Amino acid sequence: MIAQQLVNGLMLGSTYALIALGLTLVLGVFNKLNIAHGDVFMFGAFAGLAMAAAGASFAVAILAGMAAAATVNVLIERFCFHPLRNSHFLAPMLSTIAFGIMLQNVATQIWGSDPSRFPNVEATMHFHFGGVLLSSVQVVVLAVSVVLMAVIDLVIHHTRIGRALRATAIDREIAGLLGINTGKVIFFTFLTAGALAGIAGVLTANVYSQITPHIGIRQGMIGMVAMVIGGLGNLRGAMLGGMAIGLVEILNDAYLGAAYRDLVVFSLFFAFLIVKPDGLIPQNRAVRV
Amino acid sequence: MKSRLKSFAMWPAATVLGLAIGFTAASAETYRIGLAVPVTGTGADAGKREAIGAYAAVNAINNSGGIDGNMIELSFADTGGNPQDAVNAVRKLAGDDEVLAIVGPHYSGVAEATFPLGNRLGIVQIAVASSKPGVAEANRPYAFRNTLTEDRVAAAVVASFKARNNPKTVAIITDIKDAVSRAIGTAVLPAALKAEGIKILNEGDPVTFQTGDAQFTAQITSLKAMNPDAVGLGALGPDALNIITEARRQGMEQPFFGTAPLMEGNIPEKGGDAVTGTIAGTIWDYSLADERSRQFIADYEAIAETLYPGEFTKRPDYYAVNAYDAVYMIKAAIEASAIPPGRSGLEDARNRIRDYMATLKDFDGAASSGFNDVGDGVKNVIVFEIKNGHWVPMQ
Repeated sequence: MIAQQLVNGLMLGSTYALIALGLTLVLGVFNKLNIAHGDVFMFGAFAGLAMAAAGASFAVAILAGMAAAATVNVLIERFCFHPLRNSHFLAPMLSTIAFGIMLQNVATQIWGSDPSRFPNVEATMHFHFGGVLLSSVQVVVLAVSVVLMAVIDLVIHHTRIGRALRATAIDREIAGLLGINTGKVIFFTFLTAGALAGIAGVLTANVYSQITPHIGIRQGMIGMVAMVIGGLGNLRGAMLGGMAIGLVEILNDAYLGAAYRDLVVFSLFFAFLIVKPDGLIPQNRAVRV
Repeated sequence: MKSRLKSFAMWPAATVLGLAIGFTAASAETYRIGLAVPVTGTGADAGKREAIGAYAAVNAINNSGGIDGNMIELSFADTGGNPQDAVNAVRKLAGDDEVLAIVGPHYSGVAEATFPLGNRLGIVQIAVASSKPGVAEANRPYAFRNTLTEDRVAAAVVASFKARNNPKTVAIITDIKDAVSRAIGTAVLPAALKAEGIKILNEGDPVTFQTGDAQFTAQITSLKAMNPDAVGLGALGPDALNIITEARRQGMEQPFFGTAPLMEGNIPEKGGDAVTGTIAGTIWDYSLADERSRQFIADYEAIAETLYPGEFTKRPDYYAVNAYDAVYMIKAAIEASAIPPGRSGLEDARNRIRDYMATLKDFDGAASSGFNDVGDGVKNVIVFEIKNGHWVPMQ
């Protein structure tokens, strides 16, 4: 049973890692926290589900989820961050709380508050490895998550836009003086972070069958926990943090009980903030955004 | 901020509700009844069905002349599915709107907050979904629940299940956040199973989850390792659907059973083959087509599209029929106690309604016949199972 639980943990952790990646991108480049990130995840999931319900393939559903979530995240930049860029540092973050609640209400009006279900979740193949069971959807989720994490890592560290992004993260003003179009960098950052949240949403909805308009609240919180545990603003740390939290949650549910889940996860969150604020990957070894 | 935004989000619904009752609010000499259910937040879809049920009853009564020519007016307040907003809703209805009695709230966890307040304010509340044992009993004399407590439902479900499937062992999975589901999983189902001599493999240590969890992989892996003959569910319908689907994905083929909350959320329609054979019990279902039920369904469907259009409100559930009957119970109290219309003598009128409800035993509702000595509904349990995408009475 322990092997199956570890696989369950990695599956859950891979979607948490995608959420944490998006949060970390925005925080690293922009030095601002998007509290509505979990709701962007939710909106992407619903967009993918709507396409799947209309008969679209899984790939098209993922693309739709990415596009919808990326669009919503760019809107968040336009309406929550851009107009408040000269306000108190808390103002943009607070505005994203409002935006997130608006998204939940819009989703409730469109799709209802009862859980919506991804079609044809049973139509999957199952693979047995010893005592461990994996479904084809899980394999796809794990593969997509790992490939995406690798692609993001490559783009950030080995491409022109990645260099521009890292330069903007270090000092936006100097990056601008050096000829980097920081406006485009910020647009790209929100677009990518939204797309990651959208993919995570569609994958989560598919592998776990159902979503509700309120699913993003906890997912966003867990993304933040993963980000802190991995190392604030640190992309590789976010991936590691996501995986770690997935494993912790699953092992807790299996051996301690769901009643202790939030106590354990948020105690860990608190402990890292106090004792190890740099996260699992120390800053001098981390390649930050 | 959240509550302000919620209020904003309620505007369209409030406008439609206003339109729906506009013709009844013209006279000052009306009978004003309160409605406190969630139309935003957790349980909003069920709350909307309850609201439609209550408005359907009001419209039907007013269309047939009201009470001696005086119309019934429904004052609505959204509970948001949480105790804080629900307490504010009851205060508003009792204090500002001066209603005679309140239909609602929905959840047991919410009723545990609003029932004590109702006692302090001296106003009857008739909850329409709460079924955790002991909630009305702890809040005499103004608390009533037009529902059946889960212990009675569980006893009927387990007895029928044993008679047909004869399971020797059962494992239990329970929600530890939702009050009624927790009570079902930790106390109600274990008691019913013991009474039938069925062994509980994880007695005193149920597999646990939290309401609205996105995934149940760890829980199902644990349940599968126990290899029970069947699985007992202390869960609301939407979570149960997720749990059963994950169980089938992990290769579990055992049947699942539970009580009334399992029947919310359209499990048969959404779950497909995965949920076939799932067993639950309740007091009313759309598939029951006696004369009173047909009248209720017709009244419900006459306004559902106007009030809260959408797939999730199209078909009434047993919460909606409870709300519908609750309005008729209050009408009966007004008539039997000769309460005058208007807002004068409010305290006396509210107490006369309380006294009437306390002795109501022979009510002829669509799915209600009155209350027992501790304020809980007296109803017949019907055991259902899922077949061909629908709940059908168990054979």
